[in-house]
Amino acid sequence: MIPFYKLQRYEGNAALFELVMMSIVSSYVGEPLHLHAEGLRGTGKTTIMRAAKGILPNITRIKGCIYNCDPEDPHCPHHKGMTEEEINRIGVEEIPMPFLEISHSAKVGTVVGSIDLAKLTDPARPEASMLPGLIPQAHRGILFVDEINRLADTSPEITDILLDVMGNKPGHIQIEEAGLPVVDIPVNVSIWAASNPDEDPGPLEEIRRQLSDRFDMVCYMGRPDSVDILAQMLEENSHRHKIKRNQEKRSQAENEAKDNEYRQKVIKWANTYNNTDLPDFLRNFIARLYIKHNIESIRAIEAMQQGAVLHSVISNRDKVMINDVTSMIPLVLKHRIDGDTLIRMVNDVESRGAREGILNFRGKKNKEKESEPEYFQHNARSLKDMSRNELVNTEKDLTPGEY
Amino acid sequence: MLEERTRIDKAASVGNYLSLYFGQDQGVRLGESTVVSRKGHARMPEKRVKGQIKILLNRDAGKSYLDYVEADQVVHIDIYHRPGIIDPRMVAQAIFNAMDEYFLDKDPQLKYAEDERFKMVADYANKIYVVSKQGKGTIYDLFQGIVKPYTEGEEGWDHLHILARLNRDEYYMVYIIAEAAEGVILASGVKLSRVRNIIHGNQKQEQDSYAGYIKLPWKNFKGHHAQQLPDKENVNQLILKLAEKFGGVDEIEEFMESYSTNVFKRKGIEQQKKKWGDVEHDLEQLEELGLIKNTPFGKIMSKKGLELKEYVIKHKCELETEIRRNIRKTPSGGSSRFRKMGEITNKNSEVEFTNHNKTINDPDKNWSGDLAVPETILQAMKNSFFRGDDSLTIKKEDLHFYDKKSYVPIDVCLLMDASGSMAGDKRQAACFLAEHMLLTGKEKVAVVTFQERSSEVVVPFTRNQSVLNKGLATITPAGLTPMADGIVTAVNLIKESKVRNPLLVMITDGIPNTSLWTTDAKADAMEAAYRIPENDIRFICIGVESNRYYLEKLVERAKGALYLVDDLNKDNLINIIHNEKKTILDSKRQMA
Repeated sequence: MIPFYKLQRYEGNAALFELVMMSIVSSYVGEPLHLHAEGLRGTGKTTIMRAAKGILPNITRIKGCIYNCDPEDPHCPHHKGMTEEEINRIGVEEIPMPFLEISHSAKVGTVVGSIDLAKLTDPARPEASMLPGLIPQAHRGILFVDEINRLADTSPEITDILLDVMGNKPGHIQIEEAGLPVVDIPVNVSIWAASNPDEDPGPLEEIRRQLSDRFDMVCYMGRPDSVDILAQMLEENSHRHKIKRNQEKRSQAENEAKDNEYRQKVIKWANTYNNTDLPDFLRNFIARLYIKHNIESIRAIEAMQQGAVLHSVISNRDKVMINDVTSMIPLVLKHRIDGDTLIRMVNDVESRGAREGILNFRGKKNKEKESEPEYFQHNARSLKDMSRNELVNTEKDLTPGEY
Repeated sequence: MLEERTRIDKAASVGNYLSLYFGQDQGVRLGESTVVSRKGHARMPEKRVKGQIKILLNRDAGKSYLDYVEADQVVHIDIYHRPGIIDPRMVAQAIFNAMDEYFLDKDPQLKYAEDERFKMVADYANKIYVVSKQGKGTIYDLFQGIVKPYTEGEEGWDHLHILARLNRDEYYMVYIIAEAAEGVILASGVKLSRVRNIIHGNQKQEQDSYAGYIKLPWKNFKGHHAQQLPDKENVNQLILKLAEKFGGVDEIEEFMESYSTNVFKRKGIEQQKKKWGDVEHDLEQLEELGLIKNTPFGKIMSKKGLELKEYVIKHKCELETEIRRNIRKTPSGGSSRFRKMGEITNKNSEVEFTNHNKTINDPDKNWSGDLAVPETILQAMKNSFFRGDDSLTIKKEDLHFYDKKSYVPIDVCLLMDASGSMAGDKRQAACFLAEHMLLTGKEKVAVVTFQERSSEVVVPFTRNQSVLNKGLATITPAGLTPMADGIVTAVNLIKESKVRNPLLVMITDGIPNTSLWTTDAKADAMEAAYRIPENDIRFICIGVESNRYYLEKLVERAKGALYLVDDLNKDNLINIIHNEKKTILDSKRQMA
């Protein structure tokens, strides 16, 4: 696999690189950010997302806890309510932030959790116990779903589960198995998805509107359109390159170093993110957008707020600016509102900029109305002043010339 | 007293005129600022004629404002005035009093029967509904001070919007109402507006003027180097708008070629209209955006226009994806109106596939399909315990299998009337339907057209979108309606192709007028219709109300169903097909 830093960046995929970083930072802090990359085949949706696995920072968990319990806030059925001493006795360990995938052979049992067959059929000591599925195991990490539109079409049951997990932040999941106690645990998982809206069964919002709304941001991928970039991509994927990469130890070390750089950055950004907040005037601005353009989804403006802060953080700033918010508008809203409204909104914000007073929606609106010329002349006589034969006028009477 | 009499006379004369003109389905201007009809009214900004009010013949007032089922129940009175504050309660009081006074004048005996008089007035008060910008309600409610709030964008911001449920012999009331309401407007210090003239027409679908809000990055437009996202979004949105109108990227190019400097590629406006309908609106918008300019030699593409064309060619892949995405969108069901007549009963074949999320355990049933291993082991564990086995054993009764789902594939053949009357929007709507069906379903689609004196298989049964698009692009409506020929061709196509549960959908806005075997076009089409049930083909016909009588008979012959719409637009067509597919699935479920 090509390491993250070697992937070609161009206009059409720049947004996804940013979003991936933002989501990693956010997940590291403990607030999921769900992404959906849509685009034609070969635009690198899956490649970029899978490559991000290499740069994920480490997280600390209670030793051996398959639910990735945070030692400071254990949540799983085994460790919940333990005292610090008890946890210290078990010990803690560092593991890479989980990055798991839901494939198309997934079943409800493998995704949520099911009875542990190995323990059940153990001839020496058969025991009924729970084996958590992919979602609980991906807690505090990332869960990747490729071709999510097909999954939504063929497995509505799994889709329902995703809806639950993505419904709130943190989401929650309930594992039920006949004969075992019900397990209900919170899960903090960022769902990353990729799909090609042009292939069967069509774009996600047509298959499961609800699920598409759950994604905080959607990134529309563009095709690479420069010869240089394509040539470099080909080179990176040539057979010689691939073989060489597998053999050379030196490049391994280099990759590791580069990945580490990203890791350090993520940790640094996560710290900044913890200390940054959206200024009040921008929060008002977002609220006004919601009212003015009749946006239906509250999730959309929540995502706009979260995204704006993250965007400023990964741009190495500690203050959020208006263009952090505006650059989030298309990402957050493209899958939620129709193209016309989006364009109106973007142009509205663009044309005025920060200086002309973004907070002043009303002033502008009124001005436009005044300049509109009057449709009628206001000199009509009242019915009382008219004689009987003037009262009723037909189209013919009023436009004599045309008949 | 003299004045009183004139009011009664005026009212009576107005009443007579109104019942005359309303009977002819016309509306009138009453006085200078009031428009009265039984239809909806609209301003006409599109024609840039000021002070004109259009009476929308296809919008009945009762149906559209008050959700009445029957037409012609409600008289619609609009009194235009300069925007200002008019208290609806005052209006209600004035009308109430005016009615009371009027009854008294007309029949002075009522003076001694106050209850009777009050009952009469109150009766009318419940049937009259007033909207001003300050609130709305029936006169009865308003009179008692109950005001419902006005909602932004509703009728009534620059006029008093009054709806009255009156019988033919009560139209004289219109004058009483209008005079009283005018009095309140003037008393509130607001001037009456002068309605210059009225015209009658149908309400058109609102044309979107996108030139107003799309901002093209023309000044620094450098093709794919357009760095900022909003610019690109703007261009893409413009192209999507155009695609909605013209059908696809290729057709946008074709349209733009019509304004190239290459004389051989230029198409006359008439030819364009035949294919795409009313192109003038879009042309205007493009001009406003600076993509097309006027020269002494006619309209040609400007430099910006050429750049846009280049952009389209360069980004065809992405644009086509976006366009297809829009085609896949299902319209919201509420807005469309159609009526279904007749019922179809055909048998369906089904396709089965495995459902990995549901298992069945039925030892008595013979099984075929995939074994569900985990569920089987669980069952075996349990059962071994009950059976008292020493170790895990698996018996037949333990086996779990994955369930099967099934669906009914329906291959659709569109039989499209391509006679002259279908030109423009109707053609576009039918083509859109074909694309929508292909993109949203798993089934094959075919298109057969009939026009002039013959019919043609434009698209054979296919799942290939480019085949479909190429075929559709060749449809140019013209000529007569040889329906019999069309039906025969479509039936033969279905017979020859390998199709599952064929559904033949005929879209027409006329009745046959070119014959096939005899000299009687209608009889020939009837004869041809027999072949549809003979070949076990499910048939629906989508037509317009005016041809109901003939189409009903035709559909009966064909053992099909008839859908009547008031307008052959995209949403209607798509909703009908969805409805039809749903009935087929429901009938399957009922049988099971």
